[in-house]
Amino acid sequence: MQDPNAEDAVGRLSHDSSEENDWAAAKAFFDSLKTTTKPRPPKPKNAVTIAVSSRTLFNMVKERKLYEEEGLERYVSYQLEHEDQPFTPGVAFPFVKALMVVNARLRELYPDSEELFDIVLMTNNHAQVGVRLINSINHYGLSIERFCMTGGESPIGYLKAYMTNLYLSKDSQKVQQAIEEGIAAATMFTCDNENKLSDTQLRVAFDGDAVLFSDESEIIVKKHGLDTFFQHEKEFENKPLAQGPLKCFLEALGKLQRKFYAKNLRITCPIRTYLVTARSAASAGARVLKTLRSWGLEVDEALFLAGAPKGPLLQKIRPHIFFDDQMFHIEGAQELGTIAAHVPYGIGQKYHKSKPLKPKEAEK
Amino acid sequence: MAVSCHGMFDLDSCNVQPDSCALPKGAAFAFIKAVQTVNQRLLGLSEKNKTLLFEVVLLGKDCEEHIKLNIFDSAKHYGLEIDKFYFCSSDNLIGTLQANHINLFLSPDKDDVYSVLKAGVPAALLYQQAEQQAINRLKVLFSGDLIGLSADSMVCLKDRGFTDVHIQNFKAAKECLREFVVRIGEMKRMFGHEGSPLHTSLMTVWGSRDVCASALKTLRGWGLDVDEAFCLAGATCGPILALLQPHIVWDNGLHNLKGVAPLLSS
Repeated sequence: MQDPNAEDAVGRLSHDSSEENDWAAAKAFFDSLKTTTKPRPPKPKNAVTIAVSSRTLFNMVKERKLYEEEGLERYVSYQLEHEDQPFTPGVAFPFVKALMVVNARLRELYPDSEELFDIVLMTNNHAQVGVRLINSINHYGLSIERFCMTGGESPIGYLKAYMTNLYLSKDSQKVQQAIEEGIAAATMFTCDNENKLSDTQLRVAFDGDAVLFSDESEIIVKKHGLDTFFQHEKEFENKPLAQGPLKCFLEALGKLQRKFYAKNLRITCPIRTYLVTARSAASAGARVLKTLRSWGLEVDEALFLAGAPKGPLLQKIRPHIFFDDQMFHIEGAQELGTIAAHVPYGIGQKYHKSKPLKPKEAEK
Repeated sequence: MAVSCHGMFDLDSCNVQPDSCALPKGAAFAFIKAVQTVNQRLLGLSEKNKTLLFEVVLLGKDCEEHIKLNIFDSAKHYGLEIDKFYFCSSDNLIGTLQANHINLFLSPDKDDVYSVLKAGVPAALLYQQAEQQAINRLKVLFSGDLIGLSADSMVCLKDRGFTDVHIQNFKAAKECLREFVVRIGEMKRMFGHEGSPLHTSLMTVWGSRDVCASALKTLRGWGLDVDEAFCLAGATCGPILALLQPHIVWDNGLHNLKGVAPLLSS
């Protein structure tokens, strides 16, 4: 597939002198230097930027252990020795492949648009490990063109510089910092028996309270119990909940979904979103749906579990990623093979189910 | 390594306060302080490292007599360890640098940097830091789009519209860069990966990830393991630079093309 922008620039070159078209020359030059005819990545401001860390993209468990046991120098030299060996896929790998599928469909429908997913590798790994990471990315043919290897510095500032819409990492501290800075983020964990996932449709599942919405209602449940919660939700049915850390990511997904709807492709839309909440439809569900409507957002499927475990349902849905703020839901999902990401936000961090955690446990 | 500095002090504002005892700090100030830290650490490790130390030379271009005096006094006032002071006219800039075997010329003035680089003297840009950064580290940024190209690949740039002159400049710039990188690599190896006072970064602005990978490998081949790497693939570099706040920037000639130069400062 010819890169339309390179063709354009080369055409200009033959008419004008290179002095006047240095910019075009530089661009055309680098476009042509690519080893394959890969499309150029979109400008960050137009794209939905997803930042993944190296440990979520690839399985670096062995190397991580080496770093923790034998230190940085040994870790870096090990990586250099094994530079030509690609890593094996990590927990965010299926998610990234699904994003690429959506991009391919978007490019078919809108060849000139920059409203695409842009995947950035954001890692505080040392730059020398970069060569092995790039070799691995090449090996799997992933379309990750942008990366940031901060050599030990915090990547949080760079997340903002790349206008990141979602950040995935194995390090919960970084994820927490990102959320505090207003960036949607979640912690991922190694998942062993993953279910077979769709390779034509990106599926993203969200918990409601403290993920899409703020934890205001969650607080009522934890502090005053379920009955008070139901009363409260009925009373304030028409008052929208405040937004949670992942609302903007759902919004970004919705923007891309509407591009398919505009071409009458709702049924075969390659993005599908799910709300999977412990709320019950009858007593607390209306407020949630009305809040989404007031934000101009929609989810494709809203599943109210009324307290039933989320694991079995998620196993049926098979999302590429499931976001929840409470660890016991995450664990429940993982037990049945779902890739789950923890959103460390809100009062849920200080409780385990409905029992308050001792302060030491809560800080983990 | 002799480093010549222009832009130590903010000479433009000295006209406003002719009687002040010390000139206000310019872009090079933080750089000098950082270099002093590196020198101290190198000596701290071993007396033998004397040969590796930075030697800073202050170069004043077209300075009037009273300014020269001001510069001496200000340098002393701030406790800057400057080994030599040279004053020359702008026509004689390159001659002065070559005659005194300067290994690196630094200036916040892009035009000066590029004309010196074209003449085969290594030169890099002094980055205007937003605020006085912590001076316990010297931060160097290499712009990597051309580093990974071998001499042969440079020749085929002609098909893309670059002239022979451009290509010649790129080759000269790359050679200068290599000399500097080799020395910095030597210094850096004295320190480990953690707690080093020398912090190096690589940034490719236009190239694909393979361009970045080959730049990393080339620098490694010259003896330097950079700490940070950024591959922007067309994203604007302004926000990243603002975060990075390097002291000096090596842009090895690509960005002296008109229209591409604003890339670094935007």
